[in-house]
Amino acid sequence: MKNMRDCLAGLLSKAMVLSLLSVAVAPWTFALAASPAGDAAKGSKAWSENCARCHNMRSPSDLRDDQWVTSVFHMRIRAGLTGQETRDILAFLQGANDKVEYAGQKAVPLAAPLPATGTGKHIYESYCTACHGADGKGRLPGVPDFTSKNGRLSKSENELFNNVVSGFQSPGSSMPMPPKGGNSNLTEGDIRAVLRYITATFGQPGGNE
Amino acid sequence: MKRESLIRTLAIGATALVASNAAFASPSLEELTQDLKKMQTEVDKLQKQIQSLAAKQEARDAKQEVGTANEWPQSDSLFHMTGYADVGYVNTEATEGSFTVGSFSPIFHFQYRDLVMLESEMEIEVGDDGETEVALEYLVVDWFINDYMTLMGGKFLSPIGQFRQNLHPSWINKLPSAPPGFGHDGAAPVSDVGLQLRGGFPLGSVRTSYAFYVSNGPQLVAEMEEEDGEIEYALDGVEAEGFGSDSDGEKTIGGRLGFIPFAGFELGISAASGKATVTSIHEGDSSLLSGEAARDYDVIGADFNWQYQGFNLRGEYVETKVGADTGEGTAASEGATWTTWYTQAAYRISASKWELVARYTDFDSPHDSQDQEQSALGVNYLFSSNFIGKVSYEFNDGLLESDADQDRVMVQMAYGF
Repeated sequence: MKNMRDCLAGLLSKAMVLSLLSVAVAPWTFALAASPAGDAAKGSKAWSENCARCHNMRSPSDLRDDQWVTSVFHMRIRAGLTGQETRDILAFLQGANDKVEYAGQKAVPLAAPLPATGTGKHIYESYCTACHGADGKGRLPGVPDFTSKNGRLSKSENELFNNVVSGFQSPGSSMPMPPKGGNSNLTEGDIRAVLRYITATFGQPGGNE
Repeated sequence: MKRESLIRTLAIGATALVASNAAFASPSLEELTQDLKKMQTEVDKLQKQIQSLAAKQEARDAKQEVGTANEWPQSDSLFHMTGYADVGYVNTEATEGSFTVGSFSPIFHFQYRDLVMLESEMEIEVGDDGETEVALEYLVVDWFINDYMTLMGGKFLSPIGQFRQNLHPSWINKLPSAPPGFGHDGAAPVSDVGLQLRGGFPLGSVRTSYAFYVSNGPQLVAEMEEEDGEIEYALDGVEAEGFGSDSDGEKTIGGRLGFIPFAGFELGISAASGKATVTSIHEGDSSLLSGEAARDYDVIGADFNWQYQGFNLRGEYVETKVGADTGEGTAASEGATWTTWYTQAAYRISASKWELVARYTDFDSPHDSQDQEQSALGVNYLFSSNFIGKVSYEFNDGLLESDADQDRVMVQMAYGF
């Protein structure tokens, strides 16, 4: 047992030294001259995949833009995030921390009805799967299951549209969905397209007709 | 011919004159007023459109500016205070129930651009005697060298395992207590003073994280027992709580490697190695110590975490081993080993704010009075993601009638701010 542990300790020591050397050299070799901007779509994915490893997901609307800066840099150290992941998550959180409309409040209409910039499937996979999952069942605790009968998709199309536009926190959830899922660039056409995709893919027949 | 052409020309000219008079006939004043109003409305619409476009362009420009300025939308220096606090109630089998002030732990962040950050956490507690105790949990200056490396110096939370560095804050810990052996006097190191290099990088589809450190290392505590008139010494514990000086001059090196092969699952391995010296006697006169030499000090650990929708399963193992005395010291000549491990399952009930938790821990120390086997069950209510109410019952099995053997009920309100 002792020999085995000594052997393991030896291997660990060597692995650490090798890893340290690799890590020390690689970043200098591939370091970029200037840090590229954060990508909100990638940020939402990194946010959903990393933060819940340790704690309950905090709502983007919990903090202001400047507060998210220090918080996300703090989490960069705690969670072992790369600089790019940090900027991506920050771009998502700063873009998604508008005040959320709660159940019963009226949604603010979009300024101008613009057409969709992509297919509903593409929009869903780019901006929604981080929390709702590719199967629509919800990847994070508190996120609704689109496939459940009499679930979220039993609402009318207009109500769902308003929920997406203004953000929504359901009574049983401790975290709201940010307005437009955190992507302020989504057009009315985008939202209608993604709702059609969600309803067609995950909705129960006759659910929200 | 000429005459016919002349007549034709005159006829065309006369028709054109009549037509032009009809075309340029003067409109009425009313018609002109309506036209003017229409034109004014059109101008107003155009002005609004221009303003809207200008505002959108301004917003786009601002976003572009922010995006290309190293994500820095504010001034160069930022200050942010965060932290957590908890209060509760404890009823232990052998004692009366008491309300408790768990701790108030403000965390201060000072940041200059994306270059440097100072992080510090205070730990303020009210003891059983009513005295307020203040401690510095950690204080580090982080230099963000590049996207993959951060060098931190100061007093840092031990990167051995996950619980101490990431899970101990009360709003994160799913039960009101730390697993036995992972507290301030257990098998897992708490904090250290030195330098630490940490970060993360992708290896293909696998995400990895690393933390390596060199530090002052821990100090050892001996205990003194009198038996048949003779005084005997034994190792009482390892104090790995971040000493500001290195009494034996022997540095400790260690770290952790984390692997995330797929989203939701993480595996980590940890190790530390160095020397440690007995510097005090528990509830005894430390001046009795003499000739203490540095002993071997080794830690190994492993941890995992799996998250699937509302279900979370995690576990952690840590072993701390101190070697035998190699010199002529008065303290214990024998070495000692502390081991602890826990596994915890938590389930967030679908479409509700309720969470169920179960944890099993087995802590073994060289002293029977410290050994503890614990099964804990808990129910949590998430008022919000960062404000949590917890109720738990711990089945504790230790040396008969010792503190470690007392079952207890705990109620806690934890708030991460």
